[in-house]
Amino acid sequence: MTTSVIQPLASYRLTEYALPIPCYVCGTDNTLDAESCTRCLAPMALAHQVASQGTEPRMVATMGASGAGKTVYLGMLMDLLSHQPERLRLLARGAFSITLQQTTVAALASCRFPGKTPNEPDRWNWVHCQLRKPKQKHPLELIMPDMAGDAVLEEVNHPHSYRVIEAFLKKCRAALILVDAVRIEDGAREEDYFAMKLLSYLSELVDRARSGWEHRPVAVVFTKADQCEECLEDPTEFARRHAVGLWQQCRERFRCHRFFAAGVAGACATLDSVTDGRVLAPLRIEPRGIVEPFYWLLEQLPS
Amino acid sequence: MNIHPAATAMRQENHTHALAVILALSLACWVLGWLAAGPVYLSGGTAGFGYVLFRAAGGYRLRRSARAAGENRPLPRPARPTERPKPANPHDPGALADEMLAQGRCALLLRPQIAGNLPEPQFRRALASLNETMALVPEGDVALEPASQSLDFCRLDADDALHIVRVAPVFLDRYPVTNRQFYEFVAGGGYEQVALWDTAIWTAVLAMTDRTGRPGPRYWMDGVYLEGEEDHPVVGVSWYEAAAFARWIGKRLPSDAEWVKAGTWPLPTGGGVRSQRRYPWGDTVDRGKANLWGSGPERIVSVREFTEGVSVGGVYQLIGNVWEWTSGTFRGIDGPDGRLEPAEPMKSLRGGAFDTYFDNQATCQFRSGDYPLRRKHNIGFRCAVGVCDLLLARARGIPECTAAGQPEPPGNQMAGSAECESAEQAQEVHS
Repeated sequence: MTTSVIQPLASYRLTEYALPIPCYVCGTDNTLDAESCTRCLAPMALAHQVASQGTEPRMVATMGASGAGKTVYLGMLMDLLSHQPERLRLLARGAFSITLQQTTVAALASCRFPGKTPNEPDRWNWVHCQLRKPKQKHPLELIMPDMAGDAVLEEVNHPHSYRVIEAFLKKCRAALILVDAVRIEDGAREEDYFAMKLLSYLSELVDRARSGWEHRPVAVVFTKADQCEECLEDPTEFARRHAVGLWQQCRERFRCHRFFAAGVAGACATLDSVTDGRVLAPLRIEPRGIVEPFYWLLEQLPS
Repeated sequence: MNIHPAATAMRQENHTHALAVILALSLACWVLGWLAAGPVYLSGGTAGFGYVLFRAAGGYRLRRSARAAGENRPLPRPARPTERPKPANPHDPGALADEMLAQGRCALLLRPQIAGNLPEPQFRRALASLNETMALVPEGDVALEPASQSLDFCRLDADDALHIVRVAPVFLDRYPVTNRQFYEFVAGGGYEQVALWDTAIWTAVLAMTDRTGRPGPRYWMDGVYLEGEEDHPVVGVSWYEAAAFARWIGKRLPSDAEWVKAGTWPLPTGGGVRSQRRYPWGDTVDRGKANLWGSGPERIVSVREFTEGVSVGGVYQLIGNVWEWTSGTFRGIDGPDGRLEPAEPMKSLRGGAFDTYFDNQATCQFRSGDYPLRRKHNIGFRCAVGVCDLLLARARGIPECTAAGQPEPPGNQMAGSAECESAEQAQEVHS
C-alpha cells in the first residue's frame, strides 16, 4: 500500500549554501557548513558570530616562543577578567571561547601547567569575547587566538607557511609579545633573537605609513617573572640589561610599546613525567602582572 | 640603573613648579601687552599659555596610561617609629627585664634559667604578656597530608595511610609577626648578632638588606617599615631571618604538625575516625574570614583584620594574608601526574596569602615550599615555643615544676628544652 505525503519544497534553504561566507581572518569565501576556513584554517564560527552580531571585533595577537607561557597567560587573563567585573566585564562569546580558560585553570589547580598547543591552526583555542567597562555604552568585541609558538616561528622564518598567522597579524590592532624571563636571565640568547625576529616580521608586515605596526601598541611581557625578582621590579631595565636586541628593536620600530612582567606560579618544582620527561610544575598559583599589560593595550587601542 | 621612586616624585614636583612659573610669566606678559597694547607681549603670553596647556595635556595622557598599567599607587615612604628608649644598663637586671618585656620577649624571660630569678611583678607581667600574645595548642595527634595530597581532606579515616604526628603542647603566636615587632629586632642590632644566625649563611646575611641597602626586610626603606604598615605582617624575609628573629625573641618557628594542629583542631570521633577542619573556622571556604584572592583588599592587610577567621584556640590569620614559614623541610608533594620535587631543598610554607588564587591551596592541610633564602612579597611567619621550655608556675622564687606538671631538677631543664625544640622529631604513629 502506498501512502502519499506532502513534502514541502524548502528550496530557499539552498540559497544559504549559494551565498559565500567570508572568513573573518583572511576573507576567503567559504560555504555555510565549513567548520574552518579552507585557506587559512581559522574557525568559521568567528565569521558566523560576527555576521549574527553585526559588530566588527578587533583582534589582539599573543605571541612568543614555544614554552613562553602564552596558553597560561591567556587562560589566566580570561579567568581573572571574568572574576573582576568591577573594572572590566568579560563575556565569552561561544562555548569554544571558554575552553582555553577551562583547560588552563583545571591544570593549574592540580599543580601542573597545561599541555603544549598543537601546531595545526584548526586545533588552536580562539577566544572571542566581549569587554565592557562599568560606564561604557558600547562593549568592545575582541578576538585573541592562542597560537602555537612553533607555528609562529615557522611563519616568521618562512613567510606564507601559515597563512592564518600572516592574515591575522595584518588585521591585528595590537600585540602582546611574551618572552620567558628566566631563559633571558640565564643568558639564553634564543629568546632575544626570537623576539627580535618577531618584531622585525611585524614591522615589515604592514608598510602603510599611518596604520602600520609602527603605530600599533605592542606590550612586551616578561613571563615567569615570579622566578626572576629583578624583572618584576623593573621590566624595562631588565630588558635593557638582558635583552638588548629586543629593547633596541622596540625603541627603533614601535612608537607605542611598553615592557611588563607577569607571573602565575609562586614557586616551581620538577616533575618526572612518563610522557614528557622532567618538566616544571607550579607549587602554588599566585597571579601577578597578568591584567596590567592588557589594560594598557586597551587604553592604547584607537576608539 | 634603577630610578628611585622618590627621585621620580621630586622630578615631577620640579616640573610642576616650572609650569607654574611659566603660567605666571605668561599671565604677566598678557596683562602687560593688553595694558601697553604691545603685540610682542601679547603673543609671548599666548605662546606661554599654549605651552602650559600642551604640557598639561601630555601629563594627563601619561597619568592615564600609568593608571591603566596599575601604577597609580602612592609612593612608598618609610615610617617614623616612636623613639626607642635608651638601651638598659646591662648591670641592672630589673631594667633589662623591663626592656625585654617592652620588646615583646616575654618567652625569653619565662625560660626556667631566667624566670627563677625574676621579681614577682615582672614574672606576672611576663605571664600576662605570654597569655595575651600566644595561644595554647594542646597536646595530641594530628594527621598531616597523606601520600597523595587529597584536595578534599577533612574527614580522615584510619585506612587512609595517614601521616599521624604526636604534638607536644606548644604556645603559638596569636598573630603573624608584624613590622613593628620585627623593627625591634632590626633596631636592636639583630642583623649584627652572629650568634642568632646559622653559621652556614653568615656571608649571606650581609646581602639581606632593604631597598636602601640597610639591614632589614626587603621592602623596607632606611631600615624602617613603610608608613601605615606597622601592624602588617612582616614580609620580604628569608627563612633564616625568620629563624634569627625567633631566636632573638626566645621562641622558634613552629613545626608543620604544630601549625596544622593549631588550624585544624583535630578531634577523635571514635571508631578510628578523626575529624579535622579544612579551615580554622570550619570546612568550607569563606572569603570574608580570610584575606585571599577575591576577598577584596588584593594586598596585605593588618594582622588585626579578618578576625572572624580565628581558630578554635584563638589563633588569627592562619589562612590568608601571608604564607608562613615553618621549621619543616619541603620535600615535595604527590600530584595527579607524579611526584613534584624541588630541585634544591625548600622550607615549608603554610596558610596561603592574599594572592592565593585557588581555594584548595589555602587550606590548613595544603603545603607549599620555597627556597630558604628567598625574600618574597607574600611570605611572613609566626613563632612558637614549647610549653615544656617555659616556667609558668613557681613557688618561693624557685622553679618548682614546668607547665606539664612534672618536677624538673635544674640540671635537666636544658635537656628538656632541647627535646621540645626538635619538634620535627615528634613521635610519629602510623595508624
